[in-house]
Amino acid sequence: MSVLAVAALILMLLGMLAFPLIPSLTELHNQRDAKPLSVIQEHAGEIRHFASGFRNYISGLRPALQQCVATGTTAHGVLPDGCEYLILGKTVKFPEMKMRDKEPLCELVVLAGTLLKTPDNTTFAHEIYAGEDLVGGENCTYRAILGEKNIRLAPGTTVMRWVHSLGTFSTDHHCDLFGRVSSDRSIHLGVNTQFLRVNAPRIELGSLAIIDDRDNDAPVFGDTQSRIVHRLLVDGDYEIGPKEVVTGSVVSRGRLLIRSGAKIHGSVKSHHELTLETDVIVDGSVISASKMTIGNNCLLHGPIIAERQMAIAAGTRCGSSTQPTTISSPRIDIEEGVVVFGTLWAREYGRVVVNL
Amino acid sequence: MIIPLYIIVAIICIYTFRHYWFTLNRLFGFQRHPYIDTDTAEWPPVTILVAAHNEEKVVANILGALMTVKYPPEKMLIIPVNDRSTDRTREIIDEFVERFPGRIQPFHRKEGKGGKAAALKDAMELVKTEVILIFDADYIPGAGLVKQLVAPFFDPEVGGVMGRVVPMNCGANLLTRLLDLERSGGYQVDQQARMNLRLVPQHGGTVAGVRLSALREIGGWNDASLTEDTDLTYRLLLHGWKTAYQNRSECYEEVPETWTVRIKQIMRWAKGHNQAMVTYAIRLALGRHRATLRERIDGTLLLGVYAIAPVTMIGWILALGVFYQGVAPLHGLIALFGITAYASVGNLAAFFEIAAAVRLDGNRQRVSLLPFLILGFSVSIFAVSHAAWSQLVGLVRKAEFHWDKTERFRKAT
Repeated sequence: MSVLAVAALILMLLGMLAFPLIPSLTELHNQRDAKPLSVIQEHAGEIRHFASGFRNYISGLRPALQQCVATGTTAHGVLPDGCEYLILGKTVKFPEMKMRDKEPLCELVVLAGTLLKTPDNTTFAHEIYAGEDLVGGENCTYRAILGEKNIRLAPGTTVMRWVHSLGTFSTDHHCDLFGRVSSDRSIHLGVNTQFLRVNAPRIELGSLAIIDDRDNDAPVFGDTQSRIVHRLLVDGDYEIGPKEVVTGSVVSRGRLLIRSGAKIHGSVKSHHELTLETDVIVDGSVISASKMTIGNNCLLHGPIIAERQMAIAAGTRCGSSTQPTTISSPRIDIEEGVVVFGTLWAREYGRVVVNL
Repeated sequence: MIIPLYIIVAIICIYTFRHYWFTLNRLFGFQRHPYIDTDTAEWPPVTILVAAHNEEKVVANILGALMTVKYPPEKMLIIPVNDRSTDRTREIIDEFVERFPGRIQPFHRKEGKGGKAAALKDAMELVKTEVILIFDADYIPGAGLVKQLVAPFFDPEVGGVMGRVVPMNCGANLLTRLLDLERSGGYQVDQQARMNLRLVPQHGGTVAGVRLSALREIGGWNDASLTEDTDLTYRLLLHGWKTAYQNRSECYEEVPETWTVRIKQIMRWAKGHNQAMVTYAIRLALGRHRATLRERIDGTLLLGVYAIAPVTMIGWILALGVFYQGVAPLHGLIALFGITAYASVGNLAAFFEIAAAVRLDGNRQRVSLLPFLILGFSVSIFAVSHAAWSQLVGLVRKAEFHWDKTERFRKAT
């Protein structure tokens, strides 16, 4: 009797101890979540990733598209995943679409083999493939666009996910570009356009952005009065004087102010606000752990990173055609007349403004 | 007896607070990933050192992976540092050299001092580039990793870079699953929080990089150190160089699959870390150098992490002593409240950190293994205490440190 009671007591105790461990033991046995954390080995952050995926997705429709172009006809059908598609073999008026909130809604994947003009005020809920130029209507909303030639979007356009153009890509004023926008040639963003991630060999912001002879040049440092600092680390605020030439990198743990006409043959960084006045040249990177303000007509060749926000004034060149670069900040305000070569990446909010 | 006990309790409370601070920062604070968006640039030439000592099971995997990374091939030179291997490591490396002419320059080390730091130090004669990346041979870098690890070097303040290590064999057994959880906590929360808070992210010596001019400025690799990565972190810090942590630069690694190997590994880490503590703690905390105040505090605490295990054990012994002496610290009632509060909050700090890391990683079920971490912690606390004790004994006897290579479990390919 007493032995049984002791055994029962021990069993009960063990049971009580094991009870909270039931989920652990179950997981240990069943291994429902025992795979390594997913690290995509092939992922290289390529901006054209979704465009490439879409190209593969519609690759099966290529013969049908070619046939429609050759015969000048249109075709309908259903893709293997159940999505309906529309192939346009000639420039036609868009077929009748269903209405949502009194505005036309296109729920088809659209493939156009000739010039494509989209009607105004239309929402395209699926991707568009444009084999030739695409000219967008006003106030349209697109999910995504892949263009083999040039893409031109009208005022009030919204792109929800991505656009990739093998030719030039341009928007008129007041467009909203969410997601990725890329071009193999050049991008022109109109004023009051919002953007997040933009990549092209040449990106022009606003109509004042023009080609000039600074675009292809590496910075010239012919000055003899250069102050050589190797790496200057300053515990506090620091200022580089007007037209001063510095060879080496400057790191300020406070604010950093670079006066007009200064030239830095190296990189600069500040822990707090970083201000570049007009006509500053930096051939390395420009980095602020806080806010950054870049004045007119600066020439900056390395990556430009501000951890909080950034404002870039008209006439500034970031990168060059031979040395593309990245501009990155959560919030970017960029004045009409700036040219960027490479990547412009606003994590939260980017905007082309008429005046800063 | 009571005063030392109070000191130990205070130290443990500081570390508990630190765990919570880091975890809450990761859950609610501003997250810093300043360099991760740099995808277009005039990429600098880079040398990749692959440390390999008897790595026939794994070295082909990393060399194969490095051949496929997205980085201008003419700007990337791979130097496998074959450190006195006695297996097929040399043969495998030479096969790759033949298959990819001009891209791999092997460094076959036949003799010299043992240890990774000594091997890297000797290999530096081949390094000509400003940016150096370092991988252990059991790691498998993804296509975008090299650019991600190079990008922070555009920052003139960055002297070192560290990526995130992700166990690839975590499903092998209970130990690997526990190590997977520990790695999650260590990188996803601890390292990233230190990056966010501008403290001292630690250089890990693999999936990592260092700037050549910074390395030269601090005197090169320290081959007297058992953990050259910790040593590097502190020398960079003292000279005003930052180590940047890139949480999204992930790389697979292999974790130990047996407790014997794990204990050996953690004992080596503990000894190396304690060695760095003795060398740098006072200088970092009180000396004249370029580290900021918050870096001084965090860096000193980080140096002490492996000393906490023996300190805790001493604390347990003292607490027992106090109890049997019949002493009631702080009039009993306050002590009782303190113990109760610590039992409900303090003991949970490390678990909370790991649970938060698992959540941030987007995993779900594996968090239910959390109670088993007590097993891992118990083994660690005794192993680390043993390491500290043997280190003290070794110091008295003036014994030399030995560097133990971590055994691999992958099947050779």
